[in-house]
Amino acid sequence: MDYIDYYKILDLKKDATTEDIKKAYRKLARKHHPDLNPNNEEANKKFQQINEANEVLSDPEKRKKYDKYGKDWQHADQLDAQEQQQRQYQSQGGGYGGNSYSGGFGGEDFSDFFSSMFGGGGGRSSRNSPFKGQDYNADLQLNLLDAYTTHKQTLTVNGKQVRITIPAGVENGQKIKLPGYGAAGVNNGPPGDLYIKFNITDHPKFKRKGNDIYFQEEIDLYTAILGGEKIVETLNGKVKLKVPEGTQPDATLRLKGKGFPLYKKENQFGDLYIKWQVKLPTNLNAEQKELFEKLSKF
Amino acid sequence: MGTNLIPVEDICAYHHVEINFIQSLEDFGLIHTTVKKQSLFLPVDELTKLEQYLRLANDLEINLEGIHAVSHLLNQLQNMQEEIIALQNELNYYKQLNQHH
Repeated sequence: MDYIDYYKILDLKKDATTEDIKKAYRKLARKHHPDLNPNNEEANKKFQQINEANEVLSDPEKRKKYDKYGKDWQHADQLDAQEQQQRQYQSQGGGYGGNSYSGGFGGEDFSDFFSSMFGGGGGRSSRNSPFKGQDYNADLQLNLLDAYTTHKQTLTVNGKQVRITIPAGVENGQKIKLPGYGAAGVNNGPPGDLYIKFNITDHPKFKRKGNDIYFQEEIDLYTAILGGEKIVETLNGKVKLKVPEGTQPDATLRLKGKGFPLYKKENQFGDLYIKWQVKLPTNLNAEQKELFEKLSKF
Repeated sequence: MGTNLIPVEDICAYHHVEINFIQSLEDFGLIHTTVKKQSLFLPVDELTKLEQYLRLANDLEINLEGIHAVSHLLNQLQNMQEEIIALQNELNYYKQLNQHH
């Protein structure tokens, strides 16, 4: 793992005082604190870095080691032991080829107070109080037709199979919370929650705007002029529509309540809008041309 | 103790926070506690919010008035984020229309 310059992270000089470090940390923490930047992964990462830098630089012992050993500061004790061993070995007259550390730096998880305690692995796990487990986040891709109906789907979250019900009408980018599907709680505490973000892919024909559905349908010139019937495919099957005579190109027909279901509102739907695309005839034969010419003289 | 309630006493002990702080949060309308058999409990659903307020107080030294203001702004932010999602989806609809033409 790459070396991390903690002074740079906190925008400090190497000779920064304890007070300078505290001030710099507070200033950056106010800016990047995850509670003040919801749904901002970048701020979250930045805050972890700031915390880690502060953890090291605000502790005189850790800072001393960090300054002395740089990227290998976590192994300072081992390096000291090696130096000691080397000194002993050399004093016995033997040679020493040296030993380089390839171990990386970092790896410590300086998560926030609650997570470190309740997500397990904290130094206070000996306490008996029950606490909630960590929350999980997951993304789920759906197509428009998936989102049209309430259905069940099985997800794998952290190696576990979770069967969930996806209510009809979910919106692209919407997040839902599944209480209790996060990490297990500590000391019989409640489990964390699972947050699922839906990514709904575009449909080649049906376009969704809120709860309304839009699409275009072709009709020939004669149906547009004389009127007629047209069978069209909608999200829930085929419907026969009446095309009034004299229908203009781009005229829109609205079918109330035939659009997308409203999220968690039973039997409520948006509207369906059909825009008529009038297809003009091509490659007319002589007779057809003559008839059109006659029409044009009226 | 009900399965969905956590004793406030336990929370206070674990977080090293005075019960007055939790009562003040309730006075500001930021959390809701419940009394059972003369003991104060916090519903599990409220725990995430309480933890957030504790972090704001501990990490950033924000006082109760500040937490109240931050909470209000965060709610506004959440509403705006939801509105942005809806607008992005609407914009996507018009982009698709343009591509179609």
